[in-house]
Amino acid sequence: MTVAAYALSVLLAAATPPPPATTSRPGDAPRGQPLSGKLLDERTDEVGALLRCPVCQGLSVADSPSTMARNMKAEVREKLAAGYDREQILADFEHSYGEFVRLQPPMRGVNWLVWFGPAGVLVAGGAVIAWALRRSPRSGGEKATSPLPRDSDLPSRDTLPADPRLAAAVRRVRMLAYGWPDGIAPKERS
Amino acid sequence: MNGFAGLLLSVLVINNVTVISPTRQMRHVSVLIRDGKIAQNRAHTVRSPLVGRPAPPFRLVPVGGGTPISLESLHGKPAVINFWATWCVPCFQEHGALVASARFLPDVQFLGIVYEDEEGKTDEFLRERGTSYPSLMDKDGRTAIAYGVFGVPETFFIDPEGRIVEKFVGPLDRGTILSLVAQARGGGR
Repeated sequence: MTVAAYALSVLLAAATPPPPATTSRPGDAPRGQPLSGKLLDERTDEVGALLRCPVCQGLSVADSPSTMARNMKAEVREKLAAGYDREQILADFEHSYGEFVRLQPPMRGVNWLVWFGPAGVLVAGGAVIAWALRRSPRSGGEKATSPLPRDSDLPSRDTLPADPRLAAAVRRVRMLAYGWPDGIAPKERS
Repeated sequence: MNGFAGLLLSVLVINNVTVISPTRQMRHVSVLIRDGKIAQNRAHTVRSPLVGRPAPPFRLVPVGGGTPISLESLHGKPAVINFWATWCVPCFQEHGALVASARFLPDVQFLGIVYEDEEGKTDEFLRERGTSYPSLMDKDGRTAIAYGVFGVPETFFIDPEGRIVEKFVGPLDRGTILSLVAQARGGGR
């Protein structure tokens, strides 16, 4: 049930249209504090690590030595120094390059699947395993669903099956095997 | 249980960095009929988030110096903005088509923006091959970044209101230029 609810919520999140591509617009005023010195260096690397270098193969702007990445890093630095916050800067680049430029998919729309899909699949798999284990004969009581009858269910030497035709057959076999149809020798009985 | 949690965490972390958004999808393959032949253009219009939006502003100095040219100075005219470099072979291929189209379409403003190249080499190239429109130096690459340029050549077709109507990636030929300019004149429709 919880799994179904989870799957439903994931699907709903995926189905809802994404919000406008950017929460901030290029012309907006800076939302943060102007940075300088060591903090500016640190933040430049931090934001650069979240940006994909457009001319590289899966490298961040912080990691790439390409001219394009250097130019982008310089722009990040300039914007941080002017007081723009991380989200404003990422939104600016997204405005030009699309969501592709973000190395960390923002949590919206189909991206929820990326963030929580794997965990959801693990939870769903765990639930299936738990369900299967609960149904298995080892942990489920005495009433087994095994096709083999237990020893106590088999007719013994002196009892007969309930089915009259089967009972007649058993008596015939006993007659052939032991010489008497009741399974117990007449002298044993007394 | 710890191992399980670790696996879960690593799955999240891996996903975090490797997912690629489908923003660079090819949009269509345009087929042009010229001189009775069918010339197939290998799908070069790429979906850019800027298509349909106002073109990012710029103010850049032409190769060899002179007064800076800005986007605002083009308003009222459809524009073709071509990002190029002398080290780019397809740019060399399309150069003739762009120069001829600019001569043929005097009411359309053609502009080159030089992408990651030296001014000296660019100047030499233009002197040698000739040109009919200005090329601008984008020294810190800011204009290329603002236009979401991935490489060269990339060409933007802008309507008279300054809105980007189409982005074309790869070398252009005259037929493609004419049809995309017609689109830009009509404001996209």
